[in-house]
Parts: sequence; C-alpha cells; structure tokens
Amino acid sequence: MSRRQFVLLLGIVALTVAAAVLTVVWRNEPLLGLDLQGGVSVRLVAVGPTDEAMLDQTVEIIRDRVDGLGVAEPEISRTETGVMVSLPGVDDQERALALVGTTAELRFRPVCRMLNFPGGATEASGTAPSGPASCSLLDSGEVVPSVGPGGVTPPEDDHPTDFVVLGARTGSSEARYVLGPSLLTGEAIAEANPLFIDYQWQVGLDLRAGRVGIDGFNEIAARCYVGETSCPRLEGATNGRLAIVLDGQVVTAPAIRAPEFKADSILISGGFEKQGADDVSLALRYGALPVELEPENTRVVSATIGEDSLRAGVVAGLVGLLLVAVFIVGYYRILGLVALTSLAISGALLWAIVAHLGTQSGLALTLAGVTGMIVAIGVSVDSNVVYFEHLKEDVRDGRTARSSVDRAFPIAFATIVKANTASLIGAGLLWALTVGAVRGFALYLGLATLLDLIATYCFMGPMVRLLATTRWFAEHPQRFGLPASGAVSTAAGSTAEVVS
Amino acid sequence: MSRLTGLYRGESSVDFPGLWRRAVIASTVAVLIGLASFGIRGLNLGLDFEGGTSYEVRAPGADVADARVVMDDLGAGAARVQVVDDEVLLIRSDVEDPVQAAEIRDALTARLGPVEAFEQVGPTWGDEVTDKALRALVIFFIVVAIYITVRLEWKMAVGALVAVAHDIVLSVGVYSVFQFEITPATVIAFLTIMGYSLYDTIVVYDKVREIVARLGATERYTYPELMNLALNRVTMRSINTSVTSAIPVVSLLIVGSLAMGAAPLQEFAVALLVGIVVGSYSSLFLASSLVSRLKEGEERWRAVASKVRGRAGEEGPTRVIGRQEAVLSDTRAAPRRSPSGGPAKKRPPVVRPATGGAPPRPRKKKKR
Repeated sequence: MSRRQFVLLLGIVALTVAAAVLTVVWRNEPLLGLDLQGGVSVRLVAVGPTDEAMLDQTVEIIRDRVDGLGVAEPEISRTETGVMVSLPGVDDQERALALVGTTAELRFRPVCRMLNFPGGATEASGTAPSGPASCSLLDSGEVVPSVGPGGVTPPEDDHPTDFVVLGARTGSSEARYVLGPSLLTGEAIAEANPLFIDYQWQVGLDLRAGRVGIDGFNEIAARCYVGETSCPRLEGATNGRLAIVLDGQVVTAPAIRAPEFKADSILISGGFEKQGADDVSLALRYGALPVELEPENTRVVSATIGEDSLRAGVVAGLVGLLLVAVFIVGYYRILGLVALTSLAISGALLWAIVAHLGTQSGLALTLAGVTGMIVAIGVSVDSNVVYFEHLKEDVRDGRTARSSVDRAFPIAFATIVKANTASLIGAGLLWALTVGAVRGFALYLGLATLLDLIATYCFMGPMVRLLATTRWFAEHPQRFGLPASGAVSTAAGSTAEVVS
Repeated sequence: MSRLTGLYRGESSVDFPGLWRRAVIASTVAVLIGLASFGIRGLNLGLDFEGGTSYEVRAPGADVADARVVMDDLGAGAARVQVVDDEVLLIRSDVEDPVQAAEIRDALTARLGPVEAFEQVGPTWGDEVTDKALRALVIFFIVVAIYITVRLEWKMAVGALVAVAHDIVLSVGVYSVFQFEITPATVIAFLTIMGYSLYDTIVVYDKVREIVARLGATERYTYPELMNLALNRVTMRSINTSVTSAIPVVSLLIVGSLAMGAAPLQEFAVALLVGIVVGSYSSLFLASSLVSRLKEGEERWRAVASKVRGRAGEEGPTRVIGRQEAVLSDTRAAPRRSPSGGPAKKRPPVVRPATGGAPPRPRKKKKR
C-alpha cells in the first residue's frame, strides 16, 4: 500500500461524495426523454407549396439543429403539410422551438438607400431584372420595391431578385434599408460559430471556396469598395455598404473598406447577446430550410411508453441489481463487497454527470439510455471479475494471496483497458458520425466505460491492496473468496488429471 | 469431484478444441436460419422507420390503456398512444394502407370519440439516421480491426469481427424469426450487444495471448493445447460476467411479463439476453477456434505440432496442460515480464533452442 494508492483511494471517494452532494445541492435531475416522460410537440405547417423531398430535407436540417443544441433526442417527422417536432421537457422550450422553426435564409444585399419610417416609403410593387442591378433603376422609377404596412416589404414579396425595403434586426426600429437584389446567399457558408471578439458576441462565418463562396464575396466587395451603381456610396461615404440579411431582417450593413478579403471568414457583429449569437450560428451552420414553416400549435404530450411499462422497468432494474449483489457477494465474499462499492461509485458518478447534463444541456435519458446503463452494470462488474479470477489463478499457482494482489492487478487492468478501449473507440466514432438516438447511446456507452476504468483504477485496485495488508486477509483468504492455499503445493499429483 | 466444483476451483478441463467442430456447425446452422428468415420474412419495422398514420381523438377521460385496448382489437397493436393536453389522445399506428387506416378511424370514432385529425406521418428515424449509423459502423469495424491488430494480432482481429458479426446476425435473426417489432430502442440493443460481444472477445484473447507468450516458448505444447488452457482459465470469468449481465435482463423479462402493456420491454429483454449468451459463447467457441485454425497453419506452430505428436503419438481429446507444468513455465518466464504486464511485443524476441531437445530447466522459484 503505497502513498499514491492511498491518495487515489481518498481522491475517488471524495470526488464521489462531492458529486453526490453537488447533485443534490444544485437540484440536478436527469431529464427523462420523450418516451419516458413526454414533452412538448409543435406542429409546423409549410407556407407555400412543398413536396415530400423538400419536407424530408427540412426534417434533416431540423434534426441537425436540435442535435447542435444538445442531445435532446427529439422526434421529428414529416406530416402531410409540414413537420411535427416533439422535444422532451427541455428547460428552454421556447428557445428550442424558435430555433427549430427558423428558416435561416441568409442574403447579402447592397444598400441602395437609407430611409426613416414613417415617411419616405412608397406604396407600389414591381420586379427587377436578375443579376447585379443598378440602384439607379430606383431613381428613375423603373423599379419600385413592394412595401407593405410598417414600411417594409412583406415576406411573401421578399424574393432574392427583387429590390426590397427591410428593417433592422436590432437597434433603431425606424431605420429602413432600401436594398438591391441578393448577390450571395447562405449557401456560401461552410461553417458558422459564435465568437467573443472586441467585448461583444459576433458570428464568425467561414466561406466556402469558389464562386459560391469567397470569390463571389470578393466580387461584391470590389463593387461596393469603388461604389459602383449596383452598390453605391451613400451621401458623405467613401464606400458602398453591404447588408447582411437574415430571414428578412438586416443584421448589419457594414461599409466595405477593402476591395478584396484574403481570409475566407467574415465576422457579423449585430449587437448579439451570447444566446443570439449561438442560435444564429447554429441555424446558419446547417443551412436554410427549403421551406418556410409556421407553427400551427404547441401542445404538451405524455410519454409514449406507458407508466405501467416504466414502473415494470424500474422494478426489474432494482430486483436485478439486488440479485447481482447477492450473487457477487455470495461468490466473492468480501471482494464482492469491494466490487459492489466500486459499482456504486461509478454508478453515482454516472448519475451525477447525467443529471448535470440533463439540467444544463438538455441531455435526455431515454429507454435506450437506461438499457445501456443496465448492460454497463454487467461490464463494470466484469472489471472486478477479471481481476478476482486472476487473483485466484495466481493463488492456485502457489503464490501467497498478498503477493498475488500486487502482481495480478496490473495484468488484469491491462486486459480491462484493452477491452474497454475498443468500446471507447466505438463510442467516440458513433458520437462523432451519427445523429439522433444512436448518438445518445454512444454518449452513455462512452461515459459508463470511462467511469468503469476510473473506478477500477482508483478504487477497486487500491482497496483490495489495502485489505491485503491486513492480517485478517492473510489468515482467512476464504472470506475473500480466494482458495485456501496454492493448489500446486498441496495437490501436485492430481492437477494434471483430466476431470470428467 | 463434480465438474462444477472443479470449475470453481479452477481445475476444470473442458476440452474446448473437441467442441469447436460441433460449435461451428451449430453456429453455421443458426446463422443460416437467421439469414434465411431475414431474406424471406424480413424485419417488422415499426412506425419510427416507415411512418404510418396518426389520429387525434378527442376523448376526455379516456386514458392510454383504453386506447391500447381498442387498437389491439383492431389488429394494430403496435400503436403508440400519447395524451395531449389531457383531452386528446394522439394515436400513431404503423398502418399505411389508406383503407385500413380509414377503418381504424371509424372504429375509433365509434368507441372513443370524434377523430379530429387523421393524416399520414413520415418516419422519425429517417433513412438519413440509418445511413449515418451504418457508415459509422463500417468505419468502427475498420478502426477496431486495426486496433486489435496493433494490440494483439491480425488473426485475432479476424476472429473478433467474425464473432461480432455472428452475434449480430443471431440477435437480428431472433427479431426476424419471431417478427418482433423493431423500434429505435431495439437498434440500440443491437449496438449494445455488439459492444458487449467485442469486449468479451478481447478479454478472452488477452488471456490467450498471455498464456501463449508464457508457455509458447517451451515448444512443448501445440497452439490448440495452449488455447485450451487459456479458455479453461477464462471460463469462470466468462460465466460470472454473463450471469451478472444477464440477471438484470432476466429480471426485466420476468417482471415485464407480469406487468401489462410491457411487451416492448419484454421483446427488448429477449434480444439482450440472446445477445449476452451468444456473445459469451462466440468468444469461447467461435472466435477462439478461428484463431486457432489460423495459427495452426503458421510454420512455427506446425513444427511444434509435429514434434509433439511424434513424441506422444497420441490421438483423441486435447492433451490437458496440468497446473504444475503451467506454473513452472510461468516462473521461468516471469523475469522477462515487464512490471506493468505490458503487451508481448515489448519483450525481447524468444530465443528458441537450436534443436528439439528438452527445454531448459526452470530457474529456482523466486519469491516476489
């Protein structure tokens, strides 16, 4: 029993107690999934005509967004007219539902003019030719943007090829931007991330290479820099301005002060809150929905698995655990108790993590997750069994119990690490490469495996060594489920015979 | 001495190589049945995978159990029932045929209350989820094969993957033969089985590697004999682990059968149980026999085999390596072992005796 072993032992016990206390103090509780607890269900109806393929694509994008929000394990399905999204009792349901339904249509439009509302808005409609259109078309009155009540172009007339009048997303409610046709869309974006730069939250966009990407952006930048008619200088300015429009609102409209941007990333600073920057990035990252969705109703739904099944499952779990305890203690005696304590430690830590993630990040515990944990019990017990059986082999081979304890642990632990590494590889790959329920499973598998390794290394190993230093251990190996003495010394002649 | 006590005392001597032949035949038959059923009957995919019809019935006061009874009577037992805002029953069934769906709607109206909404719904577990999961699995198999090759050896990687494939085919086969409904939770159960099977196989292989590294250098034993010793030494571990893993599942099965409406739990438990039992079996019988067959072909082991056979000239059951023999070699090999018990490749190459004489006498036992 070295000092290091003792520190490990003390450390893991302290950690477990701390985790348990914090879970109680913070009132962390696991978030039960849709199947176990129910949640909210929102029915989104598509605005305008759609087909199955478009709705399927919409479902995929929404799933990516919800996965990006956490591991809430949503249920998303296509209906005849739109999409149905169900989320388990997520803490911030409104935010989740808003994110789910956001179209996230990003457009880059040149600013032709600035107006103030009310006043200055014209009431008429018309369409402009596609491609970079000169703002002078507005001056000559050839094209008049459609403007509805509120002094902005109504959503149904907000086509990418039209001149439009739009308001700002944040800030002044009076400012109106008269904007030219869209020059670049959200398709140009490869990746979007919230960044904290210059003491404010911004959204960093990484553009793709090529025409629909950085090259296209530079083409526009060159035009705005010199103030061509398609992106004119406003009074008193030296450069034209380019508006970044998200779902019909101007997020920001910076003046373009360089003819070319070398880096393939741009920053949008639109006076975001942290959460706003998070959500906008998430929505932009997975692209725009192919259809615009409108929430029809939001309702509270009950669990899909009946309460009777759930209760049966819980009872079964408890009975099973009890039987496992009886078996292990009956077979390994005091070592069995060590194994059970080790199991309790990894179980308590797993519970603390699941409860914390459930409360903080919306990680949902579904039936599949519960199953994963039940099987994890078996694998955790196995780490102990591998060691104890190794111990018994060594004692039978003629070693003293005490020397076997020191010798067998590294060998047994190496085996456990080898086998668990395979599980960890699987968990990591499934987590990184899949979506939905499989991803949730991967998380539980990975967590349980890791905690098993920790409990084995920090608790079970040192604890058995600690017990091995007692005189009791040397005198009564049977109480530890070990053979009385080495078989070799007592029964050398009989071991080679074939037992049948 | 009964075999059970012998097992407990670590003196068991099951003749594993003698059973391999039968095991391979049994497994082949089982796999063929599984594949045939999969090919002919396919799988009973639930509404999560294929979509179906959803009904909203305004029935204040009715609960989930009532709706389930009605749906059972209509032959659409695999329905999912939820209560919405305490007044409306949201029933989703995997019925896709519009005629049958309309019949169900009428029956629901008659027995529960007015059906307010009735429409086709798409799958919640779309093809995209399946595609991504399959792609991830293929990558996983490749990475794990590389991992086992590095930590153990490629022949064991082959054996492990064959064993895992066998376990998955059998578990999925059970669902196909009995036409249990596949739900997302079932798929997770299959993944769990896969992980368990792989884990179990690696634990067994590591024991084999340990024994072979220790006793192989003596050139007194053939590969199947060493494998047999390793398997016997790991049998108790396999049994204990299977038992502790299976207890909660069996308990789920029994409690589930007592509680009403817990059919999904029960089917789930059956799949897991099959997986656990088959997972342990395949590690001991299939994965090992395959590796043994592959290793026997190696020049080194062929030479050992012919030498051993020439000396003993015996046929029949596998020669059992006695505890005494194993221990003596153990002590001899012990000083070479790195303190951490690390992998075999770190050790200096085994110096083989030039001629097939008697192996060097073991050194005196050293207490550590």
